Amino acid sequence: MDQRQSLWEFMQQQSGKLLQQTIQHIGLTFISLLIAVLIGLPLGIYIARNKKAAGIVLGAAGVLQTIPSIALLGFLIPVLGIGPVPAIAALFLYALLPVIRNTYTGINGVDPGVKEAALAMGMTATQRLFRVDLVLAFPVIMAGIRTATVINVGVGTLAAYIAAGGLGEFIFGGIALNNTNMILAGAIPAALLAILLDFLLSLVQRTGSRKRKMVLGLLPLVMLFFSSFYVMPIGNTRLLAGFTPEFMGRRDGDIGLRSVYGLTIRTVVISDAVMYKAIYDHKLDVISGYSTDGRLQAYDLVTLEDDKKIFPPYYAAPVVRSEVLRNYPELAPVLNKLAGRINDSIMTLLNYRAEYLNQPPDRIARDFLESAGLYHPPRNGKKGLIRLGSKIFPEQYILTDMYAMLIRGFTDLEVDSKTGLGGTKICFEALVHQQIDMYPEYTGTALLAILQPPPALTDRLAGSRDSVYRYVSDRFDREYGLTWLDPIGFNNAYALMMRRSQAEQSGIRTISDLTHYLKNQK
Amino acid sequence: MIVVKNISKRFNMHNAVDNISFTVGQGENVVFLGTSGSGKTTLLKMINRLIEPDCGEILIDGRSIVDQRPEHLRRGIGYVFQNNGLFPHYTIEENIAIVPRLLGWNRDRIAPRVISLMEKLRLPPAQYLNAYPNELSGGQQQRVGIARALAADPPVLLMDEPFGALDPITRASVKKDFKELDELRSKTIILVTHDVQEAFELADRIFLMDGGRIIQEGKPEDMFDRPATQYVKDFFEGQRYIFDHFKNSQH
Repeated sequence: MDQRQSLWEFMQQQSGKLLQQTIQHIGLTFISLLIAVLIGLPLGIYIARNKKAAGIVLGAAGVLQTIPSIALLGFLIPVLGIGPVPAIAALFLYALLPVIRNTYTGINGVDPGVKEAALAMGMTATQRLFRVDLVLAFPVIMAGIRTATVINVGVGTLAAYIAAGGLGEFIFGGIALNNTNMILAGAIPAALLAILLDFLLSLVQRTGSRKRKMVLGLLPLVMLFFSSFYVMPIGNTRLLAGFTPEFMGRRDGDIGLRSVYGLTIRTVVISDAVMYKAIYDHKLDVISGYSTDGRLQAYDLVTLEDDKKIFPPYYAAPVVRSEVLRNYPELAPVLNKLAGRINDSIMTLLNYRAEYLNQPPDRIARDFLESAGLYHPPRNGKKGLIRLGSKIFPEQYILTDMYAMLIRGFTDLEVDSKTGLGGTKICFEALVHQQIDMYPEYTGTALLAILQPPPALTDRLAGSRDSVYRYVSDRFDREYGLTWLDPIGFNNAYALMMRRSQAEQSGIRTISDLTHYLKNQK
Repeated sequence: MIVVKNISKRFNMHNAVDNISFTVGQGENVVFLGTSGSGKTTLLKMINRLIEPDCGEILIDGRSIVDQRPEHLRRGIGYVFQNNGLFPHYTIEENIAIVPRLLGWNRDRIAPRVISLMEKLRLPPAQYLNAYPNELSGGQQQRVGIARALAADPPVLLMDEPFGALDPITRASVKKDFKELDELRSKTIILVTHDVQEAFELADRIFLMDGGRIIQEGKPEDMFDRPATQYVKDFFEGQRYIFDHFKNSQH
């Protein structure tokens, strides 16, 4: 009945993909490292001689280092688009500071007496640099390159968010799908890779002074060799699809598209945070989106009709710990005030305000509650504390804010919001382990990502809103002590999306149309 | 012959060297004597352009030192540091061979030169040729420093407190072997020290410095017999015994 696999089985089954991702990851790490060394080493040498420039250069590189990696990718996408270029650029920027700083520190750390002696013997500045400064600073410079390498292996996982491949594809896919094996299949090789590279470089770092000059010459060649590992997947169709890591691994995602529709399309893995912009900018042609996403409207996209019904319904409803509902009987009616109040078009509009007009979620939530006559000022009660969680996208923020306002306005309970808990797995685990008391979940997600029933059962349930809801609420109650309250109304299902203009031009209305279109293109 | 004309150097509003002029003859050994901060090391480093003077002129054998590239100038001037300044990543052989290599000597010429200098400075080549500086004692390191400065047989030798960092017994031993070097004949040597005894031992002529100026120059006995100022008189006060000791032991 239960089809749980061991990690080893998963890795064996996915060994081809795993090898490809690992090789991509090594390539990505070394390309950016090589560029960082080629630029950082001369820059470090330069500022070691020009102390006035040192403050500016180290300051600038230091500021780059403090930018959170996700934000840095966000900054780079408008300039460099998606794919390998922004990923390499981001990793390069992170690797830069350790290389520059250690070169600078290493050269400055050389005994000034030795440096002065080198000049007094009649060495030119260049002779001193290569025969004395760099050789004596070598261990410190190598330490910087080691740091940069480890940073790059770690940050490199984020490349999967912007269609640049690497081990992040498994990690983020696994987080989204609540698939521990998949997470570990990406995380363990990434960790081992970091440890292995760090160890190998530590051997290089201990090179005796005799061989250091040779190593300094060989190192870029070795890096160049590993850089060549990085080859992006090239498909055979003209259209390019960008699917989220989560979508890639789901039966009601890429797998279903292949098996049910026979769809074969060149595919890259990308984060949902950037894919809408990417399709709007013609970097992608087809994406896996959510049917209530506000950017659908903002970027003039159309959803393709799921004519063979592979996407099950994703009705949203609050999932609450049953114990909390028993302790505070007044809570359930208050949370149910939202039931049936938000349909697809309202949710799309609310999301549009958040994602495209950049309005704060609490303002959107309050505007809606006021217009629906559901807003009461906070009663500032102290009866108890309800901890709200949310996944890390605007729709969840808006819903969580609405629930917080309802609880504060209609009960004497206090609210603590823990928003941005990442994906499904993190939210669900937090709820089960009583770190939070409730969060909004979707029936389809609960079915396919959390409960994972056998495919036959899934196929029987899929397509019917009520049977999926009954199945998940029943099993959540029995197995986890969690209660599904009434659905809010909208169905945030998966959908394939295209630019309206392109879809109309090519006469593509359904997913079957897309499949035929691609077959005829070949 | 070294001619120094009116050179000055200021660091942060402070006159390190204040309008100094002097001449050192071919083969002459002179000692600049002074307390720390008197400007004697700054003066020394201006002669091989480790420090550039603010004004003034220095001529070596009639040629201004600014008319040649600094590295070429320095390859013709031996330099001994107080803290040896040996390259930690070079063997003793490589350290001594630095300047000959920069000058493009071939191996057949360098190897015997290094061995001969090591023997003269009592560093058994079999034992130390391939050793690294950190395997040597302080006195041995200073011997290597002296050998390195002499390797290319430069006509001029600059020495900055060359025995200052050594303990008294080691100092006496290194100094003794140094004085006995046949290499030193015909070399023009400028040595700076704060050690009156060392000045008496090594100098043909002493320049007493204070506050960036030369207070008095002359033969060692002139300093006692005709002190130019009260400062000179005070500086040598109580050193008469040492001076007499050397005069007696030398004659």
